[in-house]
Amino acid sequence: MSFRPFTSESYAQDDRPEAWRDVLAAVGLQPATAHSFYDGHATASHRHAVGVALTRMAAGAQSVGPLPQANEDLPIALMPLEDGMVLKSAGGHRIVPVGHLVLLPRSGDWSIVFQRDMRAIVLSVTTSALHGRLSGKPRLGEPRVVPPNGFADVFARLLDATARTLDNLSDAEWNAVAQSLVDLLLTLAHQLAASTSDAGSSATQAALLHRICQTIERRLDDPDLVPARVAQAEGISERYLQKLFETVGDNFTHYVRERRLQRAWADLSNPVEAHRSISEIAYAYGFGDSAHFSRAFRHRFGLPPREFRQQEAERATLQHGVAGQRGWPQEALAQLRTHQSVEARSNVSRSDAEEPRAAGRRHHHLPVEASRIHWGYFSRSLSPQIEITSGDTITIETLTQHASDAPDMMIAGDAGAESVFGWTREKKNVDRRGAGPMDASVFGRGAGEGFGVHICTGPVAVKDAQPGDVLEVRILDIVPRASRSPNHAGRVFGSSVAAWWGYHYNEFLGGPKPREIVTIYEIFDDPEEPHARALYSYRWEPQTDPFGVVHATYDYPGVPVAPATVKRRHAVLDGIRIPLRPHFGVIAVAPREVDFVDSVPPSYFGGNLDNWRLGKGATVYLPVSVPGALLSVGDSHATQGDGELSGTAIECSMTGTFEVILHKKADLAGQAFADLSYPLIETETDWVLTGFSHPNYLAEFGAQGQSEVYAKSSLDLAMKDAFRKMRRFLMNVKGLSEDEAIALMSAAVDFGVTQVVDGNWGVHAILSKRLFQDAT
Amino acid sequence: MKHVTLPVSPKTVHWGYFSKIVAPALTLRSGDRATIETLTHHANDDYERMISGDPGAESVFQWTREHKAVARRGSGPTEGPFIRGAGEGIGVHLLTGPVAIEGAEPGDILEVRILDIRPRPSCSACHAGRCFGSNVAANWGFHYHDLIEDPKPREVVTIFELDTSGEPYAKAVYNYVWTPQTDPDGIVHPTIDYPGVRVDHATVKKRENILSSVKVPARLHFGTMGLAPSEADFVSSIPPSYTGGNIDDWRIGKGARMFYPVAVPGAYFSVGDPHAAQGDSELGGTAIETSLTGDFEFILHKKADLAGTHLEGLDHPMLETDHAWSFYGFTYPNYLAALGAEAQTEIANHSSLDRAMRDAFRKLRRFLMTVHGLSEDEAISLLSVGADFGVTQVVDANWGVHGTIRKNIFRCD
Repeated sequence: MSFRPFTSESYAQDDRPEAWRDVLAAVGLQPATAHSFYDGHATASHRHAVGVALTRMAAGAQSVGPLPQANEDLPIALMPLEDGMVLKSAGGHRIVPVGHLVLLPRSGDWSIVFQRDMRAIVLSVTTSALHGRLSGKPRLGEPRVVPPNGFADVFARLLDATARTLDNLSDAEWNAVAQSLVDLLLTLAHQLAASTSDAGSSATQAALLHRICQTIERRLDDPDLVPARVAQAEGISERYLQKLFETVGDNFTHYVRERRLQRAWADLSNPVEAHRSISEIAYAYGFGDSAHFSRAFRHRFGLPPREFRQQEAERATLQHGVAGQRGWPQEALAQLRTHQSVEARSNVSRSDAEEPRAAGRRHHHLPVEASRIHWGYFSRSLSPQIEITSGDTITIETLTQHASDAPDMMIAGDAGAESVFGWTREKKNVDRRGAGPMDASVFGRGAGEGFGVHICTGPVAVKDAQPGDVLEVRILDIVPRASRSPNHAGRVFGSSVAAWWGYHYNEFLGGPKPREIVTIYEIFDDPEEPHARALYSYRWEPQTDPFGVVHATYDYPGVPVAPATVKRRHAVLDGIRIPLRPHFGVIAVAPREVDFVDSVPPSYFGGNLDNWRLGKGATVYLPVSVPGALLSVGDSHATQGDGELSGTAIECSMTGTFEVILHKKADLAGQAFADLSYPLIETETDWVLTGFSHPNYLAEFGAQGQSEVYAKSSLDLAMKDAFRKMRRFLMNVKGLSEDEAIALMSAAVDFGVTQVVDGNWGVHAILSKRLFQDAT
Repeated sequence: MKHVTLPVSPKTVHWGYFSKIVAPALTLRSGDRATIETLTHHANDDYERMISGDPGAESVFQWTREHKAVARRGSGPTEGPFIRGAGEGIGVHLLTGPVAIEGAEPGDILEVRILDIRPRPSCSACHAGRCFGSNVAANWGFHYHDLIEDPKPREVVTIFELDTSGEPYAKAVYNYVWTPQTDPDGIVHPTIDYPGVRVDHATVKKRENILSSVKVPARLHFGTMGLAPSEADFVSSIPPSYTGGNIDDWRIGKGARMFYPVAVPGAYFSVGDPHAAQGDSELGGTAIETSLTGDFEFILHKKADLAGTHLEGLDHPMLETDHAWSFYGFTYPNYLAALGAEAQTEIANHSSLDRAMRDAFRKLRRFLMTVHGLSEDEAISLLSVGADFGVTQVVDANWGVHGTIRKNIFRCD
């Protein structure tokens, strides 16, 4: 297929400008000045058909101009998304607002400046796309800005919709869409060219041809659509009509047939037209004989109409059967005008027990309580709880946000947990839970709206950490947090919720559908065979929180479940013991892009990685993006399978001991974690690289990121990302050529599913260290 | 019980397809054992090392202008004119068999135990006794449209040597970029589009000292093992499906027990596509493709006896090892039934891990509910905390995600 994804993640830092130049060149652009090469994070999706290239790009501030080439081609169409841009041309500077189209001549003295991020859709159509198509070649002397009204709006919307789904379109679909885009661009360019004074006779001819095509389009249902009648309607001779078609290398009959098949194709793939029979549709486009239609259709599109329709219907069902998504709804983000004010936090504590250790290294202890955690979000503007120095060790207590599923077992009697979960009608100790608005104006679930759910302890500032550095976090130990409730003291419990964001949620076999199920486990951390066993489960029933909000589903973290409202089922998973894999689901440094970031989707800064390999003895390397790094830890898991299918692991409060080492940017060369732009996990035996659907969703989607990432997750994308990261690692760290790297990935690198429930789905790639040992 | 040997020869192999109408190479009864030789279809990437002097391999690969020992390669047309050759390379694997099992009927389950796997040493004068394999980063690889170095795109063949003196491992010997190859019938193959075309080493440039610091631990296994499907007479060997086939899971090695639903009378088991090592995903399109010989035991489980066993309700392949059960999710669990007449080529347009993950989830849920008697809620909780999903392959058109559940989870008091 003709889809080509680009991400700067594939390339080492030094190679990025050149790679980016290629992306621009594919749509007839180039950096406007030699030094305006962009070398930061950039992504693009690109697809091409004959003569048509469509790219949606997201990158940092830069300016672009025309790539000198044959002037025969149609003008480039460019549309800025999210942020406006500045068009510089002979006519002066113009600000082009979001959603306006710009038609740019292939040459000339113009450039476009993206002052903030570059987010744009670019369509480039060259003459080869016009083969067999009716058109003149409209010329523009100057760039033209077209506001999104009427026809231009339709064009703009189709561009936008197409660019969003480039990778999902089959080749046949894409070709049809590409053709429509060419049509629309032609019409628009004709309109603009005709409105300028330099329009000559060829422009008139082209405009006539164009009008004829539109007439044909309106009369495709007429089985007697013959050249004579069309010519007559336009007041020209039939011979002239045929000549007009010849000027563009087509003929009337072929053109009509192609349009008919394309229109039938569109109807067959449209669920709204499902009630019409295939022969009805065929008839509507002038095919009197459905067997003939079937043959023609198959010949053109490779599938008979019936199969084609079935396949499309299946695809549509697949796409629509999806439950509501987590995180910010897109509309709410659009309305979000200003950032929420930063909550003042001035409780930096220095009262922690600091024990001097050898060589000036210190050990710190960060207990858990309401003032020491942040719930459901990461933020660069949180005041650190403590500052440590590279080489220090720190013990960090964490709580599972699911302790409230069985408060009597996991909260009662535990001063730290009681402080964090403390919530009465009068007082909620930790008000903000999630990155949403504090006034819960989106869904009314509660402060922060549960856009992010994890209780994160921290942040811990690391002295001298600066963006560009790498933070190494070694997990020295993990100890489960025993119950302190009088009835259960000393025992360890965890909870696993098959929740509405789980992978299974849309396809229950039995009723009631859908449902959320909480299973409470007991953890047996014995050294011989550490394992978990289920104690009981219950179906989630609407819970009323202390402020009176009813939670019909598990939509807000830390709502205490009242035992009387649920029915416990005992003897669940009888006779089953699940081996433990204690680990932290969340280890993060603060992201730089936005102030409040949902804790659910993992990304380049770490976060909700949900990879059970992050257990005792493992190390994670994280790229520092803000001064002090601001390390947070939470979402402790007793065990989890690859996939985390139901939406959660066995969520269990645990305490970790970490050694934190800062690697300064200047000292990274030659290290495995040099050129790091993602969380890199190292275990005793393996390197584990973390691939995501969207490696940096905040940068890629911009303001919409915290909603888009949930809507656009896919294992196929995550697999691509994991592949690219592993290729880069093998080439840059291990010094292999691309061919060696790919051979090795085929033969020895294992790709696995990390999770399919955290918005930004994950695929990891495991490289065994054995491969590089004692080779001779 | 009897134990027979099935050597490779033009009469005992079929190339690039599964078929219910090919005459069995061997007929066995439930409980019988067989030693079966298999050849990698990539042996001609280095004729000298992998074919020369080996009577079995030479006989199968023999192809001159006058004589092509195994003409049909793939499930495509066998009447010319050809674009690529007889069978058109719609399916590429050299498969030994089929082995018919007496009394096997649709609805039964055939269990195949792999008792042992041994590499097939080179017989050529210069390399006798040593074992070689080929890995190809091919046009059907996951990377092919996403290359960063020039020339783009390109196909690269890497020849490995397998060292079995100690803990077995593979080491790269050299590699080369594929150049257009002309087969004995005069058809030019600009890319790797037809199996068994001998690479003229005068046309390629060998690069030595590659992967010089790397040892790839061996994982001897058969990439393709399965039964003949019922839907068509000739079925491409590339997409795996409900009767197994090209599953490409390296766990299907020594000690593995595979279970396949029987679709046609006699079951018609075939095996091939031997691999010395492969990673989960088989990213570049192939593993280290190495000729191997396996010892197999066949056990037929009759339909009437399945209830109450772990085979109850099984209508897709299942792997059992000492430690775990694995299930194979595909983009389309039965693409032949789902995609109709053009299924064998159409499937390549639908490849998706997302659908394969969905399928793996459903198969595991069914297993836990049917075989282990769990409720749906129990099964889902267990899948989240106790089952591991991994990427099997992203190169065989019908992409695969496997779900594995460890047996010790059920070992209980």
